[in-house]
Amino acid sequence: MRGRISPRQRLAQGLDDFREYERIAGFWEIARRALANNAFDGILTTIGVLMGSYVAGVRSSGIVIRTGIATSIAMGISGLWGAYLAESAERGRELAELEKISLTDLGSTKIARASRVAVVVVAVVDGLAPFISSLIVLMPMFFAPLLPTIIVGYALSIVVALAMLFVLGMFLGSICGRSLVSYGVRTVIAGVVCIAITFLLGGAE
Amino acid sequence: MGNLRRLVLDVLKPLDPSIEELAQVLADLDGVDGVNISIYEIDRRVENAKITIEGQHLIYEDIVAVIEENGGSVHSIDEVAAGRVLIEDVDTAQD
Repeated sequence: MRGRISPRQRLAQGLDDFREYERIAGFWEIARRALANNAFDGILTTIGVLMGSYVAGVRSSGIVIRTGIATSIAMGISGLWGAYLAESAERGRELAELEKISLTDLGSTKIARASRVAVVVVAVVDGLAPFISSLIVLMPMFFAPLLPTIIVGYALSIVVALAMLFVLGMFLGSICGRSLVSYGVRTVIAGVVCIAITFLLGGAE
Repeated sequence: MGNLRRLVLDVLKPLDPSIEELAQVLADLDGVDGVNISIYEIDRRVENAKITIEGQHLIYEDIVAVIEENGGSVHSIDEVAAGRVLIEDVDTAQD
């Protein structure tokens, strides 16, 4: 049936398969949760890096960028690895249980493929969410040479972080069908608390 | 060899993929005119299904391959009809 098909048909077939795997393995909800959780982690950790650098007197954008990127890579790898291992263990256990109940080897079935796709999707989302979100927060620092002082870079990065937290909150609000602004404000408060504590612990300049 | 016209299979399958999906992929097979799946026992993760398939030229191997691909296993073949005319099971004095 899949004899000679055009790349477009192959793509459509791939998307159909992907949707079918999602129906079987139900990974969309887990991936959505991982996206929100890990993007939140990524933003708050980068706020920590920025505030730590600021109170420590770092006034070189290069140092902040290197520290921030190293942190985002570590978060990305942590998310990817951790989620891959945890998800594959969980999915493997589920499949083994199903095989035991049905007394059938399900290794080469659609169910096993759906399970493998679920592991990859969740691991990629888990890894990319903190990595990308922290890179976005660091973005103003890349333009620090164009800014009057690095303090403006710090301030802009914090504004970007708070704006991202607000958007993330709105995303969560849209999932549960509640007030977008109220959820947005709640996530922003987490960022403000993080900034305030780092500021107080580090000693304001 | 006469063409296979009806198959009634007793299948144990996981709850997912659902019977809607399984019925549709079976109906897409060449030679299949119609599919009926009824569930007679349901468990936490698996269910027992009676799958009835009719067509002009059923290919048993293809049907079993689709069922297995969807995680099911054929426990028994409960009824088969083949030939030019579809013959129903007849009640006899012994029944």
